[in-house]
Amino acid sequence: MTKKERVLRQLEGKEVDMTPVGSTTTYAVKAFGDACGYPRPQADTDPKAMFEFALMGPKLCGWEWVKAMGWDIVPLSEAMGVELGPPTPETQYYVKAHPYAESLEGLEFPSDFLSRGRFPVYKEQFRLLKEAVGDEMCVFGESEGAFTCAANLVGTEQFMKWMFKEPDKVQQVLEVTKEAAIAAANFAFDCGADWYVFAEPTSGPALLSPRFYKKVVLPLEQEIISKVKGPVVLHICANTDPIIEMMCDTGAAGISIEEKADMKRAVEIANAKGVRVFGNVATATTLFNGTPEECYQEAKAALENGTNFLCPGCGVAPLSPLENLKQLRKARDDYFGVKSEWTD
Amino acid sequence: MANDRREELLKELREGVVEFDEERVKAAAQAVVDEGLNAYDAIMNGLAAGMEEVGELYDQQEYFVPELLMCADALYAGLDILKPHIRPEDIGATAKGQVVIGTVQGDVHDIGKNIIKMMFEVAGFTVHDLGRDVPLEKFVEEQLKTDSEIVALSAMMTTTMMGMKKVIEMIKEKNPNVQIMLGGAPVTSDVAELFGADGYAESAGNAVQEAVKMISNLRKLQNQGQQEQKDS
Repeated sequence: MTKKERVLRQLEGKEVDMTPVGSTTTYAVKAFGDACGYPRPQADTDPKAMFEFALMGPKLCGWEWVKAMGWDIVPLSEAMGVELGPPTPETQYYVKAHPYAESLEGLEFPSDFLSRGRFPVYKEQFRLLKEAVGDEMCVFGESEGAFTCAANLVGTEQFMKWMFKEPDKVQQVLEVTKEAAIAAANFAFDCGADWYVFAEPTSGPALLSPRFYKKVVLPLEQEIISKVKGPVVLHICANTDPIIEMMCDTGAAGISIEEKADMKRAVEIANAKGVRVFGNVATATTLFNGTPEECYQEAKAALENGTNFLCPGCGVAPLSPLENLKQLRKARDDYFGVKSEWTD
Repeated sequence: MANDRREELLKELREGVVEFDEERVKAAAQAVVDEGLNAYDAIMNGLAAGMEEVGELYDQQEYFVPELLMCADALYAGLDILKPHIRPEDIGATAKGQVVIGTVQGDVHDIGKNIIKMMFEVAGFTVHDLGRDVPLEKFVEEQLKTDSEIVALSAMMTTTMMGMKKVIEMIKEKNPNVQIMLGGAPVTSDVAELFGADGYAESAGNAVQEAVKMISNLRKLQNQGQQEQKDS
């Protein structure tokens, strides 16, 4: 079974020889940039550099698929006019100012959306990736989801209060970001993506109650996913235990969860609904701050708890040591008793 | 009779905060002022007590961030009315110290920071808020300028969290006695310890308790130092 077959079959819920391993979140790892000679921030904006950087996950860590669309979760926000703070080799693009904080006047989905921001860069990076490794490996695209993008447009604090005070405004913004999310995901599928990740940190229980998730976010994601032409993976950070079922009811093919969520329970709920689970080795405490042995043990625990795709639980921190990141593959190969065909 | 009225208004303030009813809080706060009741008492046993209950609801996952923010607005509405009427003797007995607070460079997430700031203010600390996306050296400058006992740093992202380590080193180099508290989603007590911080706030309620503990430790150290100087 090739790694592409393994990953695709697992995504469809078919039998596989072993659990695929990789990252379905961003991996802006500094060591990757150093190794390929295309460090960030060059790899944040230059398609060739972004392409070379992306290949370092498989090359250096034995990951079995590859990521397109850059190393941050602000592509939609950027194309919608959000001002970003500058990235460095150690930090990612971030939201600096909210263009619609004062007023929603002029807020609409721009007809040239896919030529804005870094979408032209992503298009070229997709082309390079598909040409170079498309036959042997899956490629996925990722951006923030519609809810997180909406909060970026008006400011998260204000957006949170609007949930109570101005529900009409919440819907007004979401109508626009919904279009943006659908357009971005379908763009990725047109470029040959095998799946698309919506990162929705702002919609998770770290901020929003499950009550609001049910009322506002669930119908939003359901509509978006029904209009997207390929499989969607929904990533939400922090402890998502209270909303796992709803995440699965969005129509997503997969959900991606952190170490704070209960993997075993998530797999039981999700797989019964035909949804796959990605995760959940801790990015801050373990992959970034822990020892290789701790990374190995946590990866093993994720496998024991039944993860369908062994992955970091969230975006990988830039200064995470390479040796730590390699433990995912090592743990997977040991767990399934296979001699690793991968050497870096 | 006055005591009954006091109880009644404290209850209004408390419930107004918990149910995030700004108008109710404003009316009760105005009544406290108009009827000449103790404003500090109303803040501590009305507004702050309400926020304490909100903290419990948050811990029980009854309330989430939108609810917390709405409650904070209600609390501030009352605080604005009551604060000018606090008597100096109330403050003198309870003034707790000064805090420099901010979200570190590269990070614009300030909801948690603002909630912690509010808890400090209500508890009687003087708060120097540097805002969000704060250049690291600004924390050092502000601490030196204000001679604050505590510097509270917040980061919401694993990437920006690294900035905290640098700030701690910079501050401790200039002034080893400053107490540094960390908070934010990726921060754990292990991270705080690893970075050389003195305290770690898991939640808003816990932040103020930590701060009070840190200041009393600091005062103990200072007293010891003075004692040692005297002895030698």
